[in-house]
Amino acid sequence: MNSAEWSSAAQRPPTSEVPHRLLEELLLIWTTSLLRYHRQYAADEACVTDPGPNSTNPYRRTSILGMSHPPVGDQASPTTVFPARAIHTLDSTVPSGSAIAVKDGRFLAVGEVDELVDVYGGTVDHSLADKVLLPGFVEAHSHKDTGGIWQFTYVGFEARRGPNGRLWRGCTTFDAVVDRLREADRLLDDPDEPLLAWGLDPIFWPGERFDRRQLDTVSTTRRIFVAHSNMHLATVNSALMEQEGIDPDTLAEGVPKDDSGWPTGELQEFPAMALAGQTFRSFFGRTQSDESVLMFGQAARNVGVTTVADLGTSNLLDEAVVRQWIDIADETFPMRAAMFHGALMSAPDGDEACASAMVDLKRRSTDRVRFGNVKLLMDGSIQGGTARLRWPGYLHGGPNGIWLIAPDQAAERIGPYHRAGLLVHTHANGDQAVDALLDAFDQVQTANPLPDHRHTIQHCQMTTPGQYRRMKALGMCANVFSNHTWFWGDQHRAITVGPDRAARMNAARTALDIGVPLSMHSDSPVTPLGPLHVAWAAVNRQTPKGEIMGEHERVTVAEAMHAVTMGAAWQLRMDDVIGSITPQKFADCAVLDADPFEVDPAELRDIPVWGTMSGGVLHEGSPQTDA
Amino acid sequence: MTPGSVRLPLTVIGGYLGAGKTTLLNHLLANPDGQRIAVLVNDFGEIDIDGRLLDSATDDVLRLANGCICCSVADNFAETLETVRGFAERIDRVVVEVSGVGQPHKVAQWGHSPGFSPDGVVVLVDPFSILSRAIDPYVGDTVVAQVACADLVVISRTDVAGADELEATEAWLDGVTGATVLRAPLPTAVLLGPAFRPLDVDHFPPARRVDHGSGSGELQHADHVTISRRLDGPISRPSIETWTQSRPGGVVRAKGLVRVNDRPNDRTVLQICGSSTMVSVDGPWDDGEDAVVAIALPGTPRAALVKWLNLLR
Repeated sequence: MNSAEWSSAAQRPPTSEVPHRLLEELLLIWTTSLLRYHRQYAADEACVTDPGPNSTNPYRRTSILGMSHPPVGDQASPTTVFPARAIHTLDSTVPSGSAIAVKDGRFLAVGEVDELVDVYGGTVDHSLADKVLLPGFVEAHSHKDTGGIWQFTYVGFEARRGPNGRLWRGCTTFDAVVDRLREADRLLDDPDEPLLAWGLDPIFWPGERFDRRQLDTVSTTRRIFVAHSNMHLATVNSALMEQEGIDPDTLAEGVPKDDSGWPTGELQEFPAMALAGQTFRSFFGRTQSDESVLMFGQAARNVGVTTVADLGTSNLLDEAVVRQWIDIADETFPMRAAMFHGALMSAPDGDEACASAMVDLKRRSTDRVRFGNVKLLMDGSIQGGTARLRWPGYLHGGPNGIWLIAPDQAAERIGPYHRAGLLVHTHANGDQAVDALLDAFDQVQTANPLPDHRHTIQHCQMTTPGQYRRMKALGMCANVFSNHTWFWGDQHRAITVGPDRAARMNAARTALDIGVPLSMHSDSPVTPLGPLHVAWAAVNRQTPKGEIMGEHERVTVAEAMHAVTMGAAWQLRMDDVIGSITPQKFADCAVLDADPFEVDPAELRDIPVWGTMSGGVLHEGSPQTDA
Repeated sequence: MTPGSVRLPLTVIGGYLGAGKTTLLNHLLANPDGQRIAVLVNDFGEIDIDGRLLDSATDDVLRLANGCICCSVADNFAETLETVRGFAERIDRVVVEVSGVGQPHKVAQWGHSPGFSPDGVVVLVDPFSILSRAIDPYVGDTVVAQVACADLVVISRTDVAGADELEATEAWLDGVTGATVLRAPLPTAVLLGPAFRPLDVDHFPPARRVDHGSGSGELQHADHVTISRRLDGPISRPSIETWTQSRPGGVVRAKGLVRVNDRPNDRTVLQICGSSTMVSVDGPWDDGEDAVVAIALPGTPRAALVKWLNLLR
């Protein structure tokens, strides 16, 4: 039974004329609310801890406190009123208030504390009195390995904070990388267990070569596999090469050799990385584990995110994967997920069969996990030179990128999902890829018009005003990759497309002005999960070198906040339940220590996040530690 | 790899949409010409297997009564190859279908994975559409790159194409690729490589001419020239160089498993597919005889081939 049925049933008078079925429902309601009451009460007792290596869901409360005091004379859970320093509902019909009332995991009302208590009763919880509440942030493009990648040792150049709150300092020298790996080596007991690391970025050491020689100083016996930050390359040590037979006889492309004829240890692209055998497979396999989902939840909570879209990283034709998400994401989990099946590579029986399976799966959606969505990809990435660009192509003169779906096959591939009423989000970075995709959606919509499809172009980095006008005409949405201005802005100006086209990238202003429904994303773990950073990037458009990359495409703080809440919720077809602080919606909030509407917009990304409220339950972020 | 195990030859079949890949794969599965082939496809839906031929089916693997199998390429190609490797004792070679916009020479790099050896990049071309595809603003560069990086380009639909189309296609291909260009139909051994097992050299079946793409049946002309030779023992490194450079016109496939005198304990693989020649070492030498087999176009003088193979010494 979903919550909408629940509230309408509960309003009916329980008279003797009540049919048998309704009585059963009411009984169910009562038991369910008891359970919820118990969980919410118990939440105060339990503290959120990071999962250990063999833990089950760390968010699950085990306390049985509260069971001896069930709510008397009330068929639902009690009302809790949370006063806050400021509340931004992002819903103009519920403009403001000094407190929210929460009941049954949903927002009951927004208003003044006394008024809410007078009308709805319940208790006042002062724990958020000095906090700023916004609707829970919605990350509309991320991946499951956002969490799982932190099972491995981080050796990136920039400091990053893991889901457990640990600060990983940037490894800015070869020695720092080696020291970090030696420390990780010492912590591994089993000599046969490979040392897995990630985040290496040799671009920061031009002219120098980090290879097996450095890794061999960490261990000559343990296999070491260090994935680069782009995940398309890895560096391995001699012990691994010896075990896997990577030697001067290895002829594969992407295995560069030194003057002695021996491979340097760098493995470029997936066929070469796969030469690392079991080590390679365990690296990518572990990002699919239960642990990975749990850590994803932690990472989301730490940055105020209450709903994520998993864009094609979980194979939803695999029942075990479906069960994994449904089981882990119960009402004590701090995150909801809109699951997108990666149909480009995982439709072994064809798109019609895959669409039919997704329609069946959609019926199994829960309050926390939504199915019925599909992801496709048209091209590659701009920084990787694999996005499809219109004339005049790449500034660096490299060949145009790659198609992942043939332009004249795109309509045929999208059609079955569209006709089945599923939501299709398609990756298209380059402007030529967007052209081809719009042609396809034009065909699909003409053949089978759906008035409210919400099909979305993901990344949309080079989309032009003309293309946005076509998107508007076709009823499509845009989810732009605003973080690019910070993470690759200087490279786009100098290397990939030049300053003029760079200034027009991720044109959030243009999309809004034309009226295309907009969201903005991190694509985590490609860039770190964190909507405040994404919003900061879209508002400021500043590069690390201090350039402003297209001042005319800046958006306001209000527009950016809308994009990472309601904008994203709309594209996920979840705006009826999340995206704003609106009575009846799930009580999901980002709980902040400063007000995004008050701080200097240049400091938006520095706002401390206390944690989240998810379904009325508070989830404090991981304590920040500096290891 | 385990010492002595033979790596599975892996051939990739590419070509833009409509080039005839599916027709070819269906034909290979139905007519494997004595080879037990594992075919890796993106979509089972396109595979058309006669019900009588189907032995068993699971989510990931179709097994055929003739010993062939068909696997779907999951989102993780490395895992798919591991699955196929599990069948290594029961199959002779692997064929990978590359998507219509994929670059076959990049996919061919997976042929270096443990347990496999790359055995050619074959790209099919549809003579009716290739010239317009080549100037298409969306896919022209993709189509050109596919044929430019092929070892062997095969023109399909030769049964319905006129001489004008075929000649225009060949003229265009001549300008964009150094690959060997052949017209279908072709024997399985030319498309995928010879069914090479060292001990079988004397029993190597003549290459049969088979038809794919027109559905007009199988022709049994043994008109490609197949020649094989046993070597007396390890050969010299310079003789390989000479052999490579003296290749007679008409040779389209060759494979040798030999010992070289500077590495007498290793198995050196000599391989020709269309325009490319590869010399590699794939493991320690095991039992078996040093031998080489070559396939040439109809009409190639046998004497020239014998003389050429004799260069290996």
